[in-house]
Amino acid sequence: MSTWHTLQERSFLESSARQRAIGLVDAGSFSELVGPLERFVSPHLPILGEAIEFDDGIVTGVGLLGKHPAIVISQEGRFIGGSVGEVGGAKMVGALKLALSIFESLQQGSAAEAEARRPIVLISFETGGVRLHEANAGLLAHAEVMDLLQDLRRKVPVVALIGSKIGCFGGMGFIAAATDVIVMSEFSRLGLTGPEVIEQEMGRNEFDASDRALVFRTTGGKHKFIMGDCNFLVGDTLADFRRQAQHVAQMSMIEIEGMRRIGSRGAVERQMKLVAFAADLRPRDSTDMWKALGNKEPQQLIAASEEEFQKIAVRWNA
Amino acid sequence: MALNQLHFEFAPATPRAFPVAAVHYGVVGSGDMEVIIEACALAGKTQVTVTTPVTGFDHVWQLVLGRFIDESQLADAHISINDNNATPVVVSLRLRQALLEIGE
Repeated sequence: MSTWHTLQERSFLESSARQRAIGLVDAGSFSELVGPLERFVSPHLPILGEAIEFDDGIVTGVGLLGKHPAIVISQEGRFIGGSVGEVGGAKMVGALKLALSIFESLQQGSAAEAEARRPIVLISFETGGVRLHEANAGLLAHAEVMDLLQDLRRKVPVVALIGSKIGCFGGMGFIAAATDVIVMSEFSRLGLTGPEVIEQEMGRNEFDASDRALVFRTTGGKHKFIMGDCNFLVGDTLADFRRQAQHVAQMSMIEIEGMRRIGSRGAVERQMKLVAFAADLRPRDSTDMWKALGNKEPQQLIAASEEEFQKIAVRWNA
Repeated sequence: MALNQLHFEFAPATPRAFPVAAVHYGVVGSGDMEVIIEACALAGKTQVTVTTPVTGFDHVWQLVLGRFIDESQLADAHISINDNNATPVVVSLRLRQALLEIGE
């Protein structure tokens, strides 16, 4: 039986979507919304003869981080690669709308109370993006989520927590990029086009998807941390991720806005500088980039523990 | 092409009622399954609904589920399974794990 306390020391990487959802918020505070007992299953998969899941691969619910209501969205990679279809997408959208309505109802009361109880959205990504079996509905869900992230901006912090086996790729890679804060572990991966797809389209000489070391050097948490694509690198327990979420819940909205990697003229200019830097450098490998940024011994960074890595890694700073 | 639904009914010899309203366990990964067990007044019987892409193994389901009911004597319950090519061993394991979730 998985109690909250045993979940805390559990590997985030090996936890199911529901375990992550329960463990990311305060003990005993998680209530699932549209859970498996509601049997809200995909209407498209049965027609195609594909297996269905009672929660459609996404766990949504509400918990607490101290005084802050935490709206949790957690994707299950073992069900069709964590792909987002019509029902799972609608659950994500519903959860984000709930976050906005909690924020708005708190605005009716005192300003101090609204600040102390400001909601936070936690999205535990484990997905390759759109579920191709229900592509139109899945794409539409991506667009709606993207819209809501804009509505929530400067009001409710949206935190991407990435530390699961599949990582976060495809359309959901865009969604993660559009969140306020990205938290990763060294075992997680983030990107747009996944390694297998790059190899399939561009050939093995361009990218060898079976080379795990290469995949992690290019899409893994350590690389994303150096490049500034992820804000915080944490250890691989549910407690590590929860503590980081707690920390963000207490930050001011101005600080949180400053964590964004895209979404303002300044941020775009910083990104363009990085693109120009990379274009001039013409790196053959991500380690070339690390070196150019001032990391003298990239191999040492690959082997370093997360704690050691945080101390020695030099990050991109525009 | 469509998904198959299989229905089974069992009448355990020494019925033991399911002690909680409902329990959910498992993830529909490849070669895996999930199950919901719910208390349901069925006059000492237990019904099972299996939703699966697999055809031609109805008899194996009958045997595996029958053995689970024999062992647990689970009665007055409805079991719903979403399967994705789980082997008989995995099915037995997941059903027992679902009962462990409620400390049975």
